[in-house]
Amino acid sequence: MTPILQLDNISKQFPGVKALDNVRFEMNTGEVHALLGENGAGKSTLIKIISGVYKPDSGVMRFDGQPVVFNNPREAQSKGIATIYQELSLYPELTVAENIFMGHAPKRSIGPLKVIDWKTINERAVELLASLHIYDMDVRRKVGSLNVGNRQRVEIAKALSINARVLIMDEPTAALTESDVEQLFQIVRLLKERNVGIIYISHRLQEVFELADRVTVLRDGQYVDTRPVSETSEENLISMMVGRTIDNLFPKLPAAPGKPVLEVRNLNHAPLTKNVSFKVHAGEIVGIAGLVGSGRSELAQVIFGMTPAQSGEILIEGQRADIRSPGQAVKMGIAYVPEDRGTQGLIKQMNIRENASMAVLRSLSRASFIKFGEERKLAKESIEQLSIRAYSPEQIVNKLSGGNQQKVVISKWLASKPRLLIMDEPTRGIDVGAKSEIHRLMSELAVKHGLAVLMISSELPEVLGMSDRVLVMREGQIVAEFDRAEATQEKVATAMMSSGQKAAVTA
Amino acid sequence: MTATPLPKIAANSTAAPTWTRRLRSIIFSQEGILAIGIILLLVVMSLGFERFRAPRNLLDIFQANAYIAVAAVGMSILIISGNIDISVGSLVGVLAILSGTMVTSGFPAWVSWIVPIIVGGIVGAVNGFFVAYLRIPSIVVTLGMSSILKGSLIIVLGGTTIYNMPTDFFLAQQAWLGIPSPIWFMIIATVVGALWMRYSATGRAIYAVGGNAEAARLSGINSQRTTMTAFIINGVMVGICSVMYATQFNSIQASVPPGLELQVITSAVVGGVSILGGTGTVIGSTLATILLRAILSSMVFLSVSPYWLKSVQGVLILVTVLVDILRRRRVNRQ
Amino acid sequence: MAVSETSTPSALAGQNLLGRFFRKEVVLFIILVVGVLLLSTQTDKFLTVDNILNQGRLLTEVMLLALPMTYIIITGGIDLSVGSILGLTAITLGYTWQNLGLPLEVAIVVAIAIATLAGFVNGLFIVRLGVPPLIMTLATLALYRGLAEGISQARSVRGYPEWFFELGQRNLLGIPTQLWIAVISVIIAGIVLSRTTFGRSLYAIGNNELGARFSGIPVNRYKLLIYTFSGFMAGIAGWIFVSRVSTTRSDMGTGLELDVVAAVVLGGTSIFGGSGTIVGTVIGAVLIQLLKNGLALSGVKGDATIVVIGIVLIGSILINNFIQRRSGQTT
Repeated sequence: MTPILQLDNISKQFPGVKALDNVRFEMNTGEVHALLGENGAGKSTLIKIISGVYKPDSGVMRFDGQPVVFNNPREAQSKGIATIYQELSLYPELTVAENIFMGHAPKRSIGPLKVIDWKTINERAVELLASLHIYDMDVRRKVGSLNVGNRQRVEIAKALSINARVLIMDEPTAALTESDVEQLFQIVRLLKERNVGIIYISHRLQEVFELADRVTVLRDGQYVDTRPVSETSEENLISMMVGRTIDNLFPKLPAAPGKPVLEVRNLNHAPLTKNVSFKVHAGEIVGIAGLVGSGRSELAQVIFGMTPAQSGEILIEGQRADIRSPGQAVKMGIAYVPEDRGTQGLIKQMNIRENASMAVLRSLSRASFIKFGEERKLAKESIEQLSIRAYSPEQIVNKLSGGNQQKVVISKWLASKPRLLIMDEPTRGIDVGAKSEIHRLMSELAVKHGLAVLMISSELPEVLGMSDRVLVMREGQIVAEFDRAEATQEKVATAMMSSGQKAAVTA
Repeated sequence: MTATPLPKIAANSTAAPTWTRRLRSIIFSQEGILAIGIILLLVVMSLGFERFRAPRNLLDIFQANAYIAVAAVGMSILIISGNIDISVGSLVGVLAILSGTMVTSGFPAWVSWIVPIIVGGIVGAVNGFFVAYLRIPSIVVTLGMSSILKGSLIIVLGGTTIYNMPTDFFLAQQAWLGIPSPIWFMIIATVVGALWMRYSATGRAIYAVGGNAEAARLSGINSQRTTMTAFIINGVMVGICSVMYATQFNSIQASVPPGLELQVITSAVVGGVSILGGTGTVIGSTLATILLRAILSSMVFLSVSPYWLKSVQGVLILVTVLVDILRRRRVNRQ
Repeated sequence: MAVSETSTPSALAGQNLLGRFFRKEVVLFIILVVGVLLLSTQTDKFLTVDNILNQGRLLTEVMLLALPMTYIIITGGIDLSVGSILGLTAITLGYTWQNLGLPLEVAIVVAIAIATLAGFVNGLFIVRLGVPPLIMTLATLALYRGLAEGISQARSVRGYPEWFFELGQRNLLGIPTQLWIAVISVIIAGIVLSRTTFGRSLYAIGNNELGARFSGIPVNRYKLLIYTFSGFMAGIAGWIFVSRVSTTRSDMGTGLELDVVAAVVLGGTSIFGGSGTIVGTVIGAVLIQLLKNGLALSGVKGDATIVVIGIVLIGSILINNFIQRRSGQTT
């Protein structure tokens, strides 16, 4: 039997990054095929190629044995390839039934008129949901009033309504509660019985073992291996995913931690910051590891005042700090390089000068008049100090490469002369050269300038390479702490992913 | 090797709502609340004032703003598509004069009714073209269009008034089956609009484009053509509104009815159409128009100066929007 | 690293220069000059000192309202209630003076305070409850006008003392008194927008509100401030309006918000927010007023001149879109 989907030698290059390099993938009907890899390993790019969002630079994709080229998602859908996106693509103000059939609603004729057949839509929506063993959903309800789990079920029903033969699920359990996850598994098994092929992406290894038949692992845009799940183990998969040697990319200098700069005690902000307590000392880099959705960025945003703490204490150099807004956090000497450069870190339409001075405009002004000379000087210094590749401080940030954009964000916060620097995914989506520059800078800031650095990263080698101490978060809590010496990929990964029970991972 | 067929399941499984739940969802919809508001107001006022319950007065409540309700149907559709038109007042001024001028220059009455409606559709198409294909925001396009129309009106006629129309011209003064024609037009426009928005593929596409343009694109919906359609329908509705406006009195002033676009937008918003697009119905806007007229009439009987009406309008918009925001917050918290 | 730069610096710089030459303000200024020259050939009454100064007098109210409107539109908002606030100011002024017997000086202060409060209420709802600015100010467009009509019962107030007309009808140092206020306001507003931390923050908010928050900019406070400022300026404009026309009526300023928005948008401020200048707004407002006046003097019937405004408004945006696409500024 030929595989329903077969990809050979697929490569895809983005400016500065080779996202996929000669990757293979194949799957059969009625198979649940897990796709594993760290963030940035190329999973998203691969599924975007399968679902028609991107076109590969080279390589062949076969569907049912026939070579296919998709110019847009619509063409992939018409072949029966449906995707459940992480950001759900539903219409919140329309009903469940209508969402399922949007764009291909059944019609009936009244004389010369073709009208939408609501009776059939509602009936078929009920049937579709029933075929997924969902009996408790009112198909006339607005999707906006459903919870995340139910919205996802609507998405799945929508995929089935176009007779999907391949269903791509990208981190489907990331936002679900325990009972929703169980229901989702049942649906997946049901679809499998119905000969739908399912590409299943998840960071939770336990799910892979529970659901998948085979697993393909990607690492740094390259194909590692495909194996039947029965012939592998959790340790095995983790070492395949992270098994990169920790090379000399990260010139970490030896640290001599000083006094505590940041101390948080029993910090809470529902739902993803639960009773968090830890310290960061001057001159020290503390890494926070954890899966997407484990509450790392949420914790950072509580400390930074974006979502002020509901209870608990934050102490800066031993003094209690009541931080209710980012402005107050900046005054306390906290800087936050956020996770999403484009929407949080930068004003992309503005130039380097304006971005670099954004957090320190007050100190660059007299009676709130901006001293343009000093602003320009700051921008020039930033460009020089961080070797930002730009022809002038007046260059619009949007036109810089990812690595240089990130350097602008960092320079903005260094200008504020912080005591505590929080860096959330500091090297996501930037090329290797810029990556190692940022790592060197981080190390120097901590050791030579005595900054306390709190680093959040999904890349284990980065966490292990850079951190003096590693905290592991899961479901809003800190579940493990390792010293630099004792932290290994396997230990940290196990603490990150370990299954449900808050077991004794604490070292 | 295809997917196995889906098992047949009775459509009325446990998922189907009971009739009490459906009734409750109708009553607590924006339309339900407006309808109850109108009925309560009419009943209470009728009990209190004999002259209020006189058929003439009750009829007037439904008739007087019927032309606004027709334009509000178009506006609702346009706002649902994610756009807005602030040139309605100027367009009504121009089309009304066009209609009057045609009939006094010897065209038959029916031609003088049809042509302004067609011209309304064409103006809508022009607006739609600028918005859909040249990507200028609708508020700017229709702001410009408003100036152009208002100015043209004055260039052509310079504040004159048209008299001496033939008697068969006064469409809005006729009555069929004892019911004044504007009420017929209001009902027909509302019912046809509601059915079209509910049962036509284009109607649903308008909801989709206004609600989530990106998802609409993925569903294969042509958003540019959909936007054009919404503008053209709005133009046609404004055309019908203009003919009723032109034929309601024995003279037509060559001026722009002041604040008309505001009344029309108010009707749409109070009727439950979200200014952000993607939600609302045309029935709500018609009910809102009637409610506003009923409030005005009640104010007169209660000896409240009608000069407070605009404040009431403003408060109604605010209350509608705030209730909507609170409702959304509650849903999000769940 | 070098691979990530696609264009050479010099090419980018050249592109930028072209874009800068065709800045919206420059395009508009050229239109303005050409328009004035053309009109002055049509009638010799147009390009005279007297006429120009008189046009300045008529322009003042729109100009004053256009300044805060520029700020608001730069942040991605809009304020449709300014005409109504102006009317409410006029009525408050006349009513507290004539019916409540306050001294006229006090009445003026009370009226402007009410206007400021009206703007503050707009801002409060927009910032605290997240009501979209378009709908909030649409509601208060009706509400504030309704208050003006309700309080006054559509009766006008006349008989102000002579000194009150000093502002709206007399000259100071040979120039219409209110024009001084307009010019000073324009200069201050321009400097604040282009040179202060506050002005810079408005651009940041309009381009990326979330990013501005993450940079520690007090977004909510600034937004509240500009809507309040808008109310305050509508108050000043209302005072000048009453002084200019000698009487107070509740329909004063009806539809003015559209003239103001037209001036701002014509002046190159993007309705989506993020860009715009006071210079552009001034040129936009002056262009509208002079075109109206020049055409009227050339024999075009009264308000008919607004046709040209509509065409110029849409045309200038089309031209700008075209130029931006050509110079590759949009992505």
